[in-house]
Amino acid sequence: MIAHRLGLAAVRSATKPNVFFSQNIPRMVLASAMSTSQARPVSTQKLSQEEGQQVLVNQRLNRPVSPNLGIYKMEQTWFGASAWTRITGCALSGAAYVYFTAYLASPLLGLHVESAALASGFAALPFVVKGAIKFALAFPFTFHFINGIKHLVYDLGIGFAKAQIKRGEIALWVSSFIGGGYLAFGL
Amino acid sequence: MASIVRPSLLRQTALAARCAKPAFRSNAIKASAFHTSTQRSAILPPGPLNDPVPIPNPSAAHGSYHWTFERLLAAGLVPLSIAPFAAGSLNPTTDAILCSAILLHSHIGFQSVIIDYIPKTRYSGLRKIFWWGLNVATVTVGVGLYEFETNDIGVTEAIKKIWKA
Amino acid sequence: MAALRSSTRILSSSTRAAFRPSAVFSRSMASVSETTEQQPRVKSFQIYRWNPDTPTEKPRLQTYSIDLNKTGPMILDALIKIKNEQDPSLTFRRSCREGICGSCAMNINGQNTLACLCRIPTESASDVKIYPLPHTYVVKDLVPDLTHFYKQYKSIQPYLQRDTPAEDGKEYRQSKADRKKLDGLYECILCACCSTSCPSYWWNSEEYLGPAILLQSYRWLIDSRDERTEARKSKLENSMSLYRCHTILNCTRACPKGLNPGKAIAEIKKQMSLGA
Repeated sequence: MIAHRLGLAAVRSATKPNVFFSQNIPRMVLASAMSTSQARPVSTQKLSQEEGQQVLVNQRLNRPVSPNLGIYKMEQTWFGASAWTRITGCALSGAAYVYFTAYLASPLLGLHVESAALASGFAALPFVVKGAIKFALAFPFTFHFINGIKHLVYDLGIGFAKAQIKRGEIALWVSSFIGGGYLAFGL
Repeated sequence: MASIVRPSLLRQTALAARCAKPAFRSNAIKASAFHTSTQRSAILPPGPLNDPVPIPNPSAAHGSYHWTFERLLAAGLVPLSIAPFAAGSLNPTTDAILCSAILLHSHIGFQSVIIDYIPKTRYSGLRKIFWWGLNVATVTVGVGLYEFETNDIGVTEAIKKIWKA
Repeated sequence: MAALRSSTRILSSSTRAAFRPSAVFSRSMASVSETTEQQPRVKSFQIYRWNPDTPTEKPRLQTYSIDLNKTGPMILDALIKIKNEQDPSLTFRRSCREGICGSCAMNINGQNTLACLCRIPTESASDVKIYPLPHTYVVKDLVPDLTHFYKQYKSIQPYLQRDTPAEDGKEYRQSKADRKKLDGLYECILCACCSTSCPSYWWNSEEYLGPAILLQSYRWLIDSRDERTEARKSKLENSMSLYRCHTILNCTRACPKGLNPGKAIAEIKKQMSLGA
């Protein structure tokens, strides 16, 4: 293969002075420059099977991993419904884990996180802050709830057509924002 | 996300050190110097090139039973989490059922996050730490939840009280 | 390796075209005379480049501009034009140019698809970005290493397995309804567009089989002629092979053949769960 390439390079460099079509000159120069950089010194050596495998191993060690999250369509990665179900679920459960651990440790730490103390503390906050906190809890809940149902429907093998997926995704975002807003400000 | 945190550099130099030929080694080290973030470390598919990948031992407890249980639990949570909105409040028994179902659901959810982002094959140590850490956390939260249910007013009632405050 | 072989074939064919000055000359003259009155429609293509001969150089994007009036309608036409006329070192796989071989799978404008089935977007003036399939090892430029993908395919034993001979001693018969179940499954060309669009497969490709292989797995699970259904199912009975699927559905959105790997996986899960 390499010998073949070298041969090509030789032929090409031989034809170089013959270039007389002015519009082809840049292309030919480019091509010949490419070909000389591709020609490598040829020396063959016999390798055993293990050594051959080792060559492959080392080739692979050099290989970069192609970009993924950085280049893939945003709506399928960063704004994917499935990813946000996980994010919202982890946020809600994480908050609950933190709260109940704090509740268990509160006598030791001297914290007051029982419901009465929290309710009175919450009541003292301004309306905007209250609404923001409520929405920050209500939106993850509605999103996780609605998409959870959607996923249960998927698990029955229903709703996999591309158009349905697209419509479902829009409906999910709209309804969970409305639902979150209602729970935060309407109740 | 996960590929960013992979300690590729370390693994690569370790692999390279195992190679027999010094020429190859220097190449590998040279290359490892520039692939900092996106390089994956488990670079070789196991076994000879034309062999199929190995198949794990079958265990329904981690496979279909686990999945079925997870889905039944999630399906059960749908009416359970609508109930307090519909009824206004819950009696202590239903409240306890709801809370323990949510706790299990959360535990399984966190488990699958750990399985996804901390692969056993590459980070067996870190995986163990997170796995047992999660178990400890869930038990702690379970005890905290029990204390809350018995000493305080119950979770749904408390949320309602704070929400309306 | 198939990858290396195909890329060298591309290289040699293009160099052959490049050092025949008369051929190049006549073609370019012809296109010039054709399009004297037409306004050139220049489109830029940003293409991922990485050369294994200089592994210390970082992967980069290289921009090529071509006139769409002198190019075919598909991305693959543009790639071939760039390779023929601007940069013979650009490397990619291609074969059938009609979406049946699966060689030219790549990431075009953030979506995995086949270059030969993807039109060059003309409605917007923005550059076309072309990357190799996401989260794969790059052999060179747009050529990914799919060794592991094929090893996984081999692991599901993608062939008919049965112990009882055919009733008439000639062929294994199947009802029309049973045959119909295979529609939408057997058409898969294993281009790996779906598997490499799946975030779960990105993070766990060593153990998770990925949508393409699971679609094929399902194809053999529901084949009425196959008699190893239970053995096939037990291969999936673990937390990694099948159950890393979280119904993200990037696979269904990516499939250039319009198949539905997401649904196939859901059907496997259902079958495994119900024991049917």
